[in-house]
Amino acid sequence: MLLASAAALPLLLGAAGCRSSDVFTGPDPLAGRPPLGHDVLTLQAVIAAEENMIDLYQLAISGDSGTSRARTLRSLLGQHQQHLVQLKARLILPRGVRGDGRSPHARGGSGGGRPPRGSTVSIARLRAAERASAADLVRRLATAPPALAQLLASIAASDATHVTALGG
Amino acid sequence: MASTGVVAALQAALAAENAAVFGYGVAGAHLTGSSQAAAEQDWTGHNQARDALAAMISARGAVPAAAQAYYQLPFRVHDASSAIRLAAYLEDGVTRAYLGLVAVSDQRLRRFGALAMQDAAQQAASWRGSTLAFPGLSLLAGQAFVTLAPEAKAELAGTG
Repeated sequence: MLLASAAALPLLLGAAGCRSSDVFTGPDPLAGRPPLGHDVLTLQAVIAAEENMIDLYQLAISGDSGTSRARTLRSLLGQHQQHLVQLKARLILPRGVRGDGRSPHARGGSGGGRPPRGSTVSIARLRAAERASAADLVRRLATAPPALAQLLASIAASDATHVTALGG
Repeated sequence: MASTGVVAALQAALAAENAAVFGYGVAGAHLTGSSQAAAEQDWTGHNQARDALAAMISARGAVPAAAQAYYQLPFRVHDASSAIRLAAYLEDGVTRAYLGLVAVSDQRLRRFGALAMQDAAQQAASWRGSTLAFPGLSLLAGQAFVTLAPEAKAELAGTG
């Protein structure tokens, strides 16, 4: 009995007529992994959207290298890459939750999702994506923890300046 | 953040708006043409923002802090170039000040602060001729400027 594994504990508790919640106070260790916190979900969504924005810029630049416009786009792309670094630095996932590679979440509305391979991206589309991103970040920061809200507000302000830089 | 925190954040934004109103008065005196018109427009905008913030503070039962009679300028302003630098400096200060409002618990104030940050950051970028990766945040190292060359601006404005 003493050598019973943790996996067998529910059966043992069931046989004894009690639930694990009757034995333990606090989170039920047998209930599985707790859901991710709201701030983690917010960060994951914002990271996914930033990755989509980076894709858009890379696509726009790929068909337009060497011009002064491409140089400007590369500079703006660099700022989005900085956003991504700061956002990812704040994302702490529990062990076992996928956190490597591209984020699995997609943020609806702002970037319009990842562009299909081989498609072209106009300046108007970049402007629209930047504008939508700024609006989406302001919506998300309302319920974020204060420090994250400030980072999102700063990124939203940066995105708003990009709209102007893109001629908007 | 408690109500005292909200008032403190509003007072900080008000102080930055008051400084901007003073500073644009100095900058505008060294500018001409479209730059002067832009400075006048920004001066008017900061006056309106100052009045709005003062009303918000009063509505919370506090007294809006009065503007100072004189503000120490960050550098000597003696020509158009330094006046433009001052305008960008003022807008950076306003952007930073509104960041405090984004951290309060009132969601409407957070939104108000975030949108005010966007306005100020856009004005700063316009005066500076470059964008920042993290307007208002100074804790992040490696802040990179994107400078827009005049020909790139023209190219971007002409394409869509």
